[in-house]
Amino acid sequence: MFYQPKDIQKALELKAELKEKGAFLAGGTDLVVLMNHGKAAPENFIDLTHIPELRAIHKHNGTLELAGNVTHAQIGKLPIRCLALASLSVGGPGIRELGTIAGNLATASPAGDGSAALLALDAEVELTSVRGSRRLPLEKFFLGYRKTALAPDEMIAKVIIPTNYRTDWAKNGKRGAMNISIVAAAVAITPKKEVRIALASVAATPLRCYQTEKLLTENGLTTETIRQAVQTVRSEIKPITDHRASSDYKVHISGVMVRRLLENLVKA
Amino acid sequence: MKKPAKTKTITSALWSLRFKLNGKKVSTKVPPTQTLLDFLRLELGLTGTKGACLEGECGSCYVLVDGKPMNSCLMLAPQAQDCNVTTIEGLAQNKKLDVIQQKFIDCGAVQCGYCTPGLILAAKALLTETPHPTREEFLVGMEGNICRCTGYNKILRACEQAADEMGLKKK
Repeated sequence: MFYQPKDIQKALELKAELKEKGAFLAGGTDLVVLMNHGKAAPENFIDLTHIPELRAIHKHNGTLELAGNVTHAQIGKLPIRCLALASLSVGGPGIRELGTIAGNLATASPAGDGSAALLALDAEVELTSVRGSRRLPLEKFFLGYRKTALAPDEMIAKVIIPTNYRTDWAKNGKRGAMNISIVAAAVAITPKKEVRIALASVAATPLRCYQTEKLLTENGLTTETIRQAVQTVRSEIKPITDHRASSDYKVHISGVMVRRLLENLVKA
Repeated sequence: MKKPAKTKTITSALWSLRFKLNGKKVSTKVPPTQTLLDFLRLELGLTGTKGACLEGECGSCYVLVDGKPMNSCLMLAPQAQDCNVTTIEGLAQNKKLDVIQQKFIDCGAVQCGYCTPGLILAAKALLTETPHPTREEFLVGMEGNICRCTGYNKILRACEQAADEMGLKKK
């Protein structure tokens, strides 16, 4: 069956009833691709694209609350540098109009372009079901390769991000457009001068580099600490060799990208 | 096309689809798992919209949904409910080609033609949203479309000339 609820409550009731047998559908940039290639055939669809409140962006106490169906095209216009750049690097204009922030996170691809940016921003996800809502820091949301903390009756209703971090973002790939990252990297400095570093495509999930963050937060951003950070970043990641690049290359380029991003933040 | 898209009806009941297509109201029943691309081509015979990669990489299936470019191979037909969909067939007004279409012809921006409808709709969306695109903005606006024949130079020239002719000459 195909359901097209007009509000969140109705969507949650359907999901509670259908659980794994009901697939949420929004941009279709993952699910419909699988269907087109005969790799998925959900029994039931809960189409979320006709729920206006799921497209909303609200300012709230110095944070931005992005509802789940906010698209890459919408995010690309936000004044949050790392996240806007990440969203603008996704696909082409058509994909950016379709693909949503919640879909990007629910797919939990190790290469999720938005994920590294959101991790560096200390983003929280609000998971909602008929039972209620709970908030999780994003790093607790990714459990493993394409595995998340979402319960079978939950949806990612909101993603909450701060507006006062200084951030930057970079992507290494084989061509400019329509490109899955070889490595994506995001850096941020919080108002308390704490450093955040997150990478995608370097492990089973997008991840934060806690040791490198600690090193830089405690010792500040200097030529010397940035040089050390390159080494710690390289020791914190475990990329696999695949058709995009070798593990060695990904380890090397991750260090280079983080160094350049940090240098730019210091200069800015 | 890599593979003909399978339109599995599964157990689903047909979906009552109402939307506006190229300015005309459409009211019909569709299998809910049919993509918008297949619905347009197979049910309505509007074969201007092309399918190739079926995964959003090539842009040959672009349609405009409420003015925004979208990959119709990634939308299920019911998702067009109550929307305004424009395909390449709906771009000409009163039998007069859109200026972008005319410029593609004038500039020889078409070789095999398979990517052309998608590219023209990408350009249409870009010029509607950004009236004075720079070269860089053109490249971003068209980055979702792959052409394997032309090398893109004539396509870009056609788009830039169309922008000029629309009186939207860049600053």
